[in-house]
Amino acid sequence: MSTRFEHDDDGVVVIIGSGAGGGTLAHALARKGIKSVVLEAGKRYALEDIENDEWAMFEKISWLDERITAGPRQLTETFPNLPAWIVKGVGGSTIHWAGVALRFQPHEFRLHSEVGDIDGANLLDWPISYEELEPYYVQAERHMGVTGEASGMPLHDWNNNFMVLAEGARRVGYEKLRAGPMAINTRPYDDRPQCMQAGFCMQGCRFGAKWSTMYTDIPRAEATGYCEVRPNAMALTIEHDERGRVNAVVYADAEGNLQRQRARAVCVAGNSIESPRLLLNSHSALFPDGLANSSGQVGRNYMTHATACVFAEMPKPVNMHRGTTFAGIISDEARLDRSRGFVGGYTLEVMSLGLPFFAKFMDPANGGWGRDYAAILEKYDHLSGVWICGEDLPMEQNGITLHDSRKDQYGLPVPIVYKGDHPNDGALRRHGQQQARSCYEAVGAVRVFDVPDFPTSHNVGTNRMSARAEDGVVNQWGQAHDIDNLFVSDGSQFTSSGAENPTLTIVALALRQAVHIAERMSRGEL
Amino acid sequence: MPSATGTTLSRRRFLTLTGALAAGSLALSASTLWPRWARAEPELATRLLRLGRDIYPHEAIADRYYLAPLAPLLEEQRELIAAGLDDLDRRARAAHGRDYAAVDSAAEREALLRQIEDGEFFQTVRNTLVVGLYDNSELWEPHFGYQGSSWEQGGYVGRGYNDLVIDWL
Ligand SMILES: Cc1cc2nc3c(=O)[nH]c(=O)nc-3n(C[C@H](O)[C@H](O)[C@H](O)COP(=O)(O)OP(=O)(O)OC[C@H]3O[C@@H](n4cnc5c(N)ncnc54)[C@H](O)[C@@H]3O)c2cc1C
Ligand code: SF4
Repeated sequence: MSTRFEHDDDGVVVIIGSGAGGGTLAHALARKGIKSVVLEAGKRYALEDIENDEWAMFEKISWLDERITAGPRQLTETFPNLPAWIVKGVGGSTIHWAGVALRFQPHEFRLHSEVGDIDGANLLDWPISYEELEPYYVQAERHMGVTGEASGMPLHDWNNNFMVLAEGARRVGYEKLRAGPMAINTRPYDDRPQCMQAGFCMQGCRFGAKWSTMYTDIPRAEATGYCEVRPNAMALTIEHDERGRVNAVVYADAEGNLQRQRARAVCVAGNSIESPRLLLNSHSALFPDGLANSSGQVGRNYMTHATACVFAEMPKPVNMHRGTTFAGIISDEARLDRSRGFVGGYTLEVMSLGLPFFAKFMDPANGGWGRDYAAILEKYDHLSGVWICGEDLPMEQNGITLHDSRKDQYGLPVPIVYKGDHPNDGALRRHGQQQARSCYEAVGAVRVFDVPDFPTSHNVGTNRMSARAEDGVVNQWGQAHDIDNLFVSDGSQFTSSGAENPTLTIVALALRQAVHIAERMSRGEL
Repeated sequence: MPSATGTTLSRRRFLTLTGALAAGSLALSASTLWPRWARAEPELATRLLRLGRDIYPHEAIADRYYLAPLAPLLEEQRELIAAGLDDLDRRARAAHGRDYAAVDSAAEREALLRQIEDGEFFQTVRNTLVVGLYDNSELWEPHFGYQGSSWEQGGYVGRGYNDLVIDWL
């Protein structure tokens, strides 16, 4: 913990963000003896700071700097300044992620080849295949402690919430029903205890049973002596030399003073809003449109998954709040099957919310009140819920831009987060809602109702990978096409969204990137 | 756009509310005394209470649980609240010949509120209440079956996370 690097030490890799991408990368580099400085905008929290309290944790750890929600979607109206639900803190959004750890399917890396051009979508194949990533998936699963084959941990027992959904699913003919894989220990693993089924995964795991870089990768990277994590350090711009190679990061420290950290290489992992924002804000005479942006794709192709929730009131108490938050997954609809009227698939993931969040999110629009509303809440303990996680097609106009005049507390332009649906997203979502409804009806629900989308939890795609420099921002290693010592190390690299939650893939990519960086360093290229 | 203003407010409110509320509900203790701001202006507080109870109607929940989060609005945004309540009474008199609180039918009162639901006044009250009422841990288990913080008790291992018997089919 005590390692300190000098501001003018140009031998360090500077990593921006300490979440799934940045935290994993820092640790992997440290284990290879590569020095890094992690700049993290948020504070450092201890396990004792984690409370089983939805609003208290929301207030404590969320990224609440000003953002503007835009685009033809309900969130623009219901959460005009909170387009996304992201953590600002050491550990990033792995503090409050729910632990669902699915691999992408092989065909999802080549969706464009599979389905051809689609009007209005900016489809592209990933420059890597499933086969290339597979060994890193295995490594990531061991690393994070994902239940199943790689870690050897059994899947979780089905909780009540999943029993209800799964029984309905079975009755409508679904077969791929599993309580996982999840990066949540079912027995002690990785020096962390087993899950106590406390039911507050999305507020942070008080026990450390769920993987988070907050209490795994970050302290372990620090313990090697090769990594210094600087909390309360907000990266403002990345600087480069006259040849266009990056060489420093300017950041604001806890007191608001500007600091400049010299760098051998820079890895951006601030999640899919801040990462492109930082590249855009780092424009210079040499790169007037922002760093790594010769393709014009920085900030574009923002994907959030096509999502929706369906909740049902059951005849008896379910107590969905007990046990893991995302306790089970149905994968039958994850396949590619155009006969359903859309490309891409979706997973159905059982979910729960506590009463405080459910009362707010059941219908955050102006009309979310009244006798019917209150009547549903009175049946809170009878509810079961499911979340649809579906392929969201990339569209060029969906993305992050900078506001002309509004500035944040650092004087940087506020990001505008624009997102609209492709017709395919709408078709997929309706199909998912209908199937979820059928499941609940098949298990005897008293009533079934749709719940709108929350501020986005899965943000990907805004610095996408591409084989050719003109189609995207980074290559298959996450290295910027334009600048050979600048990397993107988070979910913004995604070329497509898949039907799976993103974090396992982010971690696998970060582990793979670490190998690449180490190899290039040993060849003297970095 | 009224809706945008309302929801901007809502976010600011729910960010500040958790803290404010915790203090407020503690101060109330077990007594049925009204909060200070409600006592200072009982007439306004009574009308605001009727409105709050119509927004999230739960028969069995005592008035003070509605007043605790709402009363601070009488201090912080008195003009908005007073004007909004007056406007609501005007609408009630036009439609039913009596003040809002005197309209007997809950359905008719709800219909009146639907007319103003996009306005800043209504959304301020609603957004305050949706957190202030449902984030009150005293109400969770008795009224909703929500058990709140569980880590202190070792979570739900062996305490009913997987004990459901689907016997209703
Ligand atoms: C409620 C919820 C549940 C979720 N559940 C799941 C799940 O079950 N499965 C799954 O796969 N995914 C889940 N996710 C998504 C998952 O959390 C994210 O995909 C993942 O954490 C993203 O990793 P990242 O590295 O891109 O960014 P993050 O983990 O968000 O880390 C980014 C970090 O960068 C910091 N940062 C940003 N900008 C700067 C800057 N300029 N300077 C310094 N620091 C900066 C931020 O403060 C943050 O700490 C969930 C998300 C939410 C909100
Ligand atoms: S349910 Fe398990 S993983 Fe989730 S917060 Fe509780 S102990 Fe942690």
